[in-house]
Amino acid sequence: MKTFGDYVRKRREERLAEDRKYSVRQVAARIGVQPSYLSKVERGEQPPPSEAKIVALAKELEEDPDVLLALAGKISGDLKAIIEKRPQLFSQLIRELKNMPDHAVLRLVREVRDGKW
Amino acid sequence: MITLADNAELAFSFPEVHEDAVLHVAFQRTLRIPDDGKTYILPPGLGSFPLQHVDDHVASVSPAWIEHGGVMLPMYQSEAMWIYFRSGRWGGGYPFAVKIATGKVNAVSGKRYKEGLNRRPQDYVVSPGQPWLDGYCVKKGLIRQFVAMPLGAGYTAEEQLTGKADVGGIQIIAYPIKPEVYQRLQRAGERFGLSEDISCMTKSCISDMGLAPGGLMKQDIYRDPYQSSDWHLAHSSRCFVHIANSLVWRQITGQNPPTVPPTSAEYTEAGLPWFDYYDDNLTAVEGSGILAKLKSVVAMGKKKGDVPLPENESVSPKNVIVLREGLKEGQVREWKKAI
Repeated sequence: MKTFGDYVRKRREERLAEDRKYSVRQVAARIGVQPSYLSKVERGEQPPPSEAKIVALAKELEEDPDVLLALAGKISGDLKAIIEKRPQLFSQLIRELKNMPDHAVLRLVREVRDGKW
Repeated sequence: MITLADNAELAFSFPEVHEDAVLHVAFQRTLRIPDDGKTYILPPGLGSFPLQHVDDHVASVSPAWIEHGGVMLPMYQSEAMWIYFRSGRWGGGYPFAVKIATGKVNAVSGKRYKEGLNRRPQDYVVSPGQPWLDGYCVKKGLIRQFVAMPLGAGYTAEEQLTGKADVGGIQIIAYPIKPEVYQRLQRAGERFGLSEDISCMTKSCISDMGLAPGGLMKQDIYRDPYQSSDWHLAHSSRCFVHIANSLVWRQITGQNPPTVPPTSAEYTEAGLPWFDYYDDNLTAVEGSGILAKLKSVVAMGKKKGDVPLPENESVSPKNVIVLREGLKEGQVREWKKAI
């Protein structure tokens, strides 16, 4: 199974092949952690960082923050707040959606309504 | 279907056509270039205009807006807009033909908005390939910038060409390419244009804004490199983007509009970058004879005896960043820091 560290390292190294600013040292500096810490996270020797650092890392690597958070076993604060506001409703909804194919779930996403013009 | 991502971007998705068939369209705030007869290069992006569903504000927008559906954005008269297209992730994207109209006047051909695609004259842009559209295609390689003017004041392209102020806003329709063409292109290893895609008060018409032709800017509108039969005309999604005067955005939404943008002179004096873009691999369409006849806002103001733009000082950009086809990751036409 793909781990958080493996995924981050793979994505960072893909970018590093094109641009040297994606070295461990430079990426770590930009997200505000020590290079040795980021290196250990990539190797799975340290657990994934905080939500804020994961979101910064996602921005840095142009990855979807929800994907990185999920790989880290976390859920973003805004999603937590949404569920906590109406826990029964959203828990039930998510459980009912779990086996639906992606295209069916996408139909539930709010569409921009087209009118008459 | 069209969804709104982060209140900043429209995502046109066609999962029934192909899982990669997703086009993102965003509306970037930018400087109003001087409307002084000079030709300017590309001004920066100053962040996205915030977008909201019209349906979320049924109590405070006009019945016409409810009828049109779609989304809305706030715009100051002192700012301008460019429209940004992005399809797919970096390294390639699903091709789309995108038709843009303002007040139902086609921004590429100048003709009345109608559905379908017309090649001669071409009345749409193709993404990837066309990274952005800054205005009305008045001449080969030249556009007149999209600037906001109150609907009903006689300045908008719609009013100049139809004599009416009935519609306003921006209308967009997107057509995906046929999936078999996409697959053929993928097999041929073709990169689709540019990687990373380089890769628009209360119930009152006062809040209605339309787009009008502003200053002249150098920009090519690229010719469609595909065949007519490549486009999947049976599948399309369209959206009406309403433009609210920023001063009444708070009354409609309860939220503050973005801050007032700098003038071109303030921006240039601060030494901040302007942009120049080249793509030698694509050919440009001829400008529209209809749009070439539009009067710019300043020219129309002179005719009316108005001064619609109190600040219209000419500038000479010195800090110019040249962008070329095949932009690398992170290369953007955007000034993100607060100024």
